Amino acid sequence: MASAMPGSCVVYRCAQLCAMMLVALASGCVSEQQKISATRDVNAVFRTEYERVLAEDGTHIYHVPRDEAFQALRVALGGLGMRLAEQSPDLGYLSVYASAPDPLTRDEWLRAAQADLPKFRGILEQHLGLAAWFVSFEPQGLDVVINATTIQVRGGTAVSLTMRMREVAPPKSGYPRREYAPPTAVRMGLRKIWGALERELPAASGRRS
Amino acid sequence: MTEDGYPDALPRGYHLHWYLLERVLGQGGFGITYLARDTNLDQRVAIKEYLPIDVATRRNDATVRARTEAHDERYRWGLERFIREARTLARFDHPNVVRVLSVFEFNNTAYMVMRFEEGSNLATILEQRGTLPEGELLRILLPILDGLELVHNAGFIHRDIKPDNIHVRADGSPVLLDFGSARQPVGHSPSLTILVAPGYAPFEQYYSSGESQGPWSDIYGLGATCYRAICGTPPMDAIARSKGVLGSARDVLAPATAVGAGRYSPRLLKAIDHALEFTERDRPQSIAEWRRELLGEGQQAALAPAAPSAAAARSERPAPASGGGWPVFRTVLAAAVALVVVAVLLRFYPFSGGGKSGPPPETAPDPAAQLKERLAKVEQQLAEERQRQAEALAQQQAEERQRVEAERKRAFEAEAARKREAEQKKLAEERQRKLAQQAEAERKRQAEQKKHAEERQRKLAQQAEAERKRAEQQARQQAVQSAKPAAAPPSSAALLEKADRDYTAGNYAEALAALKPLAARGNANAQLRLGKSYAEGHGVAHDDARAAIWYRKAALQGNPEAQLQLGELYASGRGVPHSDFEAYVWLTAAVRGGNAAAKALQGRVAKLLQPVEAEQAGKLVTNLPLPDAAK
Repeated sequence: MASAMPGSCVVYRCAQLCAMMLVALASGCVSEQQKISATRDVNAVFRTEYERVLAEDGTHIYHVPRDEAFQALRVALGGLGMRLAEQSPDLGYLSVYASAPDPLTRDEWLRAAQADLPKFRGILEQHLGLAAWFVSFEPQGLDVVINATTIQVRGGTAVSLTMRMREVAPPKSGYPRREYAPPTAVRMGLRKIWGALERELPAASGRRS
Repeated sequence: MTEDGYPDALPRGYHLHWYLLERVLGQGGFGITYLARDTNLDQRVAIKEYLPIDVATRRNDATVRARTEAHDERYRWGLERFIREARTLARFDHPNVVRVLSVFEFNNTAYMVMRFEEGSNLATILEQRGTLPEGELLRILLPILDGLELVHNAGFIHRDIKPDNIHVRADGSPVLLDFGSARQPVGHSPSLTILVAPGYAPFEQYYSSGESQGPWSDIYGLGATCYRAICGTPPMDAIARSKGVLGSARDVLAPATAVGAGRYSPRLLKAIDHALEFTERDRPQSIAEWRRELLGEGQQAALAPAAPSAAAARSERPAPASGGGWPVFRTVLAAAVALVVVAVLLRFYPFSGGGKSGPPPETAPDPAAQLKERLAKVEQQLAEERQRQAEALAQQQAEERQRVEAERKRAFEAEAARKREAEQKKLAEERQRKLAQQAEAERKRQAEQKKHAEERQRKLAQQAEAERKRAEQQARQQAVQSAKPAAAPPSSAALLEKADRDYTAGNYAEALAALKPLAARGNANAQLRLGKSYAEGHGVAHDDARAAIWYRKAALQGNPEAQLQLGELYASGRGVPHSDFEAYVWLTAAVRGGNAAAKALQGRVAKLLQPVEAEQAGKLVTNLPLPDAAK
């Protein structure tokens, strides 16, 4: 997981090169098994957080028919830059994807990374030592995949979302990919999607389930 | 007992013989007056119950008892008086005195039944209008005087004259009410309850003794009532006046002559002031006397209507010097005095023919003859004078009668016109109201009709729709029935069986020819077999995408085999985009439908999903129909 801080000034570039050299040095001292263990631990922690976020905000119920909710959901996700991978209106299933950090903006992604990075590095440090401090979140080479389902329930439609990271290119850092997005990014992404959906359903009042 | 504001009163609906109490009209120191209905004659009456609250009280059984034994004698005495007075008052049949109809004892007390008078109370009228013009005041006052005179002549005084006790009927005639306080003024118990209506009661009524009370006491009340009617407020209370009078200060009551100057005739105002004299002996001593002051000597005979019974009652007692003949009376009296003087002179003077003195000189004229001649002349003059005065008086009375009659006629006509107008207005309003009611009724009727018509229309439409459906149903049944014997097509199961046989035998064209229509009609098994045909490329070109379409159709109907096939396509990405999620959905559905072959693949795919994704997919499956066998 190489650092990939954006910047255009020479000083910043120099700093970035130095950091990469330090990471390369540090990485050279870390075994593959340590990397896998570190990634597994991070995944475990992030999965717990992710499931907690989904339990809190992963499903909303709207007082609209399922077809209406499905159409609105498709439009809302499209509006956030997500592309359609699969849809089954008769089943009530919709799968969309986009290159990370969509549906977050770059700024939102950075804010989410800053919020979760200390915890992330804290976990890595147990396995990687000092090298953990040169690891960062990177959106490059990753897709965000969202599965959305709409199920007819009593009095309306339950809309559920799940979110995962899918690797489309190998990471520059050489570390294994994580499946789970940083919890803050998940929370922000869900909030954006629900907001967009509710704008598409102005007449429907939503509630969490 | 139960009447609000009158805790001692009998309850509403209480029966006193055949009188049904409706409500309390008022309560005074001597008793309670009720409005009641005479159920025998079906008319309203006023009933006064003797209940002197200072000596007696009501018991729970509705009887009235003296408060203590010490009070008993006084209570009995008052009760006896109440009954005797009721009987006396019952004798009066005067249009301006409330009619006492009956008296009876009940509940250890007595009840006086009186005619109930509709109309307005003078106090209420004065409160509304402030003052009354002279003509209207006299129209109320003079009949009351007549009625009251009847009462006085019978030896009673009212003792509670005030606007509240004068009722004005709808036709404008007044009636004097509430003789509950009336007492014979002379020679009775000094323990009379003090009755005072502040402003209307004279000073002597503040004494407990009734000896100083008389007609003049009622005249004070009448004067005070008139005073209230001309200046808008009652005169100050006699006690307050006494402070000025007894203190040798100026009487502080503003005289009516000052208060009503310019608005009322001086004669009326003077009469009111006279009636309101503080000391009883300074007031008019009888109604007749005061009436003369009010009307002037020539008018009262014409204006005061003489009710027969009143006149009869007056005849029981020596009538006071009556009215309009005062100048004649004085003239006759003067003439009689003159005659007496002349007779004395004739008797005692020496020139009297009967005298003891010597004979008169022969040459001198006969003084007796001269005197007789003069006397005859005087008598003639007196007779002429009497005749002239009588004629003048008669003429004056006739004119006054005509004037009064004309005035009455005008008033009557005006009243009749007013009533007629009111009646017409009422009739017009009634007509208008009826028209409005009719219009409203018509509107409602039309609305009702419209509603019924709509209802009928709706029912007809429903019936027509039902009829149409029934006809369609019958037609369908007939079509089916008529088609059956003609075509007798094989059942779907038979067709499927045949298609399977053809497929197994490699006779794909025939198999597909049978399967395609069945699949198109929604037969899940036919859809599954058609999907397999595309997946295996038998009879048609291999096409996983088409296979997935037919598998999906069957899978959505709950066919486990189709669900398994579709799940495999999603897991492998053949004919459909690769989707572990959707593969898991269909494989889970197949497992749920009893397809054991799906289990292993479902387990493998599950490992590729997040646990929350698997849970999410599981929820989707619950919405899919179950296969018939699994239901």
